[in-house]
Amino acid sequence: MDLAFKDIRRHLGKFVATIAGVAMLLAIVLVMNGIYQGNIADGVWLIENTATDLWVVERGRGGPFNEPSRLPADAYKSVAATPGVAQASPYVIYTAQRAIGGSDKQFTIVGYDVFGGLGGPGRIVRGRAIEAPHYEMVADAKLGVALGERVPLGERVYTVVGLTRGAVDSAGNPLVYLSLPDAQEVQYEQDKRALVAARAANLQRLERAGYTPEQAAKLLPLLAAPTNTINAVLVRLAPGADTEAVRSQIADWLYFNVYTADEERALMLEGRLRRMSAVLALFRALLVIVSIVIIALIVYVLTIEKIKSIATLKLIGAPNFVIVRLILEQSLALTFASFALAYALRELIAPRFPRTLAFLPEETAATFLVMLVGGVVASFMAIWHALRTPPQLALGG
Amino acid sequence: MPVLEVVGVSKTFGSGELAVQALKPATFSVEAGELVALLGPSGSGKSTLLLSISLILEPTAGRIVINGQTVYDNGWTGVDERAFRRKNIGFIFQQHNLIPFLTAQENVALALQLNGVGRREAARRAKELLGYLEIAHRADSLPANLSGGEQQRVAIGRALANEPPLILADEPTAALDTERGTKVMALLRKIARERRSAVITVTHDHRMIEGFDTVYHLDDGHLSRMAEAESSAA
Repeated sequence: MDLAFKDIRRHLGKFVATIAGVAMLLAIVLVMNGIYQGNIADGVWLIENTATDLWVVERGRGGPFNEPSRLPADAYKSVAATPGVAQASPYVIYTAQRAIGGSDKQFTIVGYDVFGGLGGPGRIVRGRAIEAPHYEMVADAKLGVALGERVPLGERVYTVVGLTRGAVDSAGNPLVYLSLPDAQEVQYEQDKRALVAARAANLQRLERAGYTPEQAAKLLPLLAAPTNTINAVLVRLAPGADTEAVRSQIADWLYFNVYTADEERALMLEGRLRRMSAVLALFRALLVIVSIVIIALIVYVLTIEKIKSIATLKLIGAPNFVIVRLILEQSLALTFASFALAYALRELIAPRFPRTLAFLPEETAATFLVMLVGGVVASFMAIWHALRTPPQLALGG
Repeated sequence: MPVLEVVGVSKTFGSGELAVQALKPATFSVEAGELVALLGPSGSGKSTLLLSISLILEPTAGRIVINGQTVYDNGWTGVDERAFRRKNIGFIFQQHNLIPFLTAQENVALALQLNGVGRREAARRAKELLGYLEIAHRADSLPANLSGGEQQRVAIGRALANEPPLILADEPTAALDTERGTKVMALLRKIARERRSAVITVTHDHRMIEGFDTVYHLDDGHLSRMAEAESSAA
């Protein structure tokens, strides 16, 4: 006779309420699993979807994602001349926040050589790649723009010619691809009044240093900040080229830092993503523990409520396994039902969630296993109490 | 052969100067079909004797034989106490102690299933037993929906389920009014006669002792037959 489920039938309200509560906690755990993996997926998306063998960045820097890296605009030419390099392309990447479609949007601009250079958008789901040297953009659908829409960025207006899906930066913001000069223009564009003020200030500075106004006017362009720098050079190796040799050549002779795609990925995981991943892991662990404690308490309370029945069972000769099964089944039923409801909630939440959620079946299975083991452990306290209950408790008033 | 033989069974709690002899050496036996009352005030040793016969409390000395099997002989003889209770002893409690989440029929069937009877057969026999106890119409009711008398009948059904040779009833009428108590006692008498079970009823209610074959009195741990007790009191 299945005593556990007959008892559940009698305490259905209490069970349903407990399942709902625990399921909500577990749904948070499952969504956090998705955030955790989504965080990693977003963080490395650009690295994994940029068809390049090497990332060349500023010397001593872990760029271009984890810290700023600036290279001269023509650095890619020197890299391209290195033995073993089949192709080298300039690459610009930076985060921007602009009003698009009436609301502020944060996104990352990627500037690349649109005429056959590396670093362009991978799969375009609608439209086409950038074909004109200026004023065309490919954006991720997450930005909320439509194909053909004209998007103002600074002084210029760009036409959306292609849409990607799932192209995001490490923070989950959508990517916007522009031609290299357009990306540089948007990056360094300054307000006209600010430019006039800066020019006046520089003139005064030169005149104070003893230059005549004519000399100062001639020297002025030299003081202006360069507006055509790039953030990295993307390298595709020639077939059969020795990666290490090419890397050493570039690092030693051109004085740049060079990372393979795997190293760039590791930099991202160990740098920017590590702390957030640790925080998420901590929260997940805490929520799982809280869920198990709740199940333990409920199972314990349910056991205490029927302690006289347990004593009666012992007195009429029920073996211990009948009592252990009664408690264990209730604990497992709570765990199973809570997890099933949590899974359904996760499926409901996921499509509406504002960040990328990536679910790994093995991680979901591992969470379920942890809960299952937790559910069994949670029932130990109740089992221990039940087995210590003397049968004579059933006697007397 | 008596169903129950208790020979010189005593129980002392504690040791040395703090020792308390709750049960002085007691000797009695109960035959099949015999209805025995165990009378006595609170603290007289009734529960100690009942727990000893139930294989729950180990006596200090003596011998207990149930259904021809020696279960205690100055020490437990190694029987599996729960398995032994399942097969040989039926319990009836003061507060009925039905499992609250099982129906009347399931409560009776549970005792059978614990003894290895299959689910369908257990249900059939439980229904039959409830019919014998004239409560078949409440078979599907939960204990909370039964009156005190009905609950006690179901509890009796559970005690009878495995047809044990010995039935121990602990104050079975204490929670019932006189009319219902009288009916339950009549039922126990009927069971003892018809089913040839030895029934020992612990009670402190003198109103209920009519119709018992033998009445024992316990006072300060000393067991005596009622007639002897009355004569010694006189």
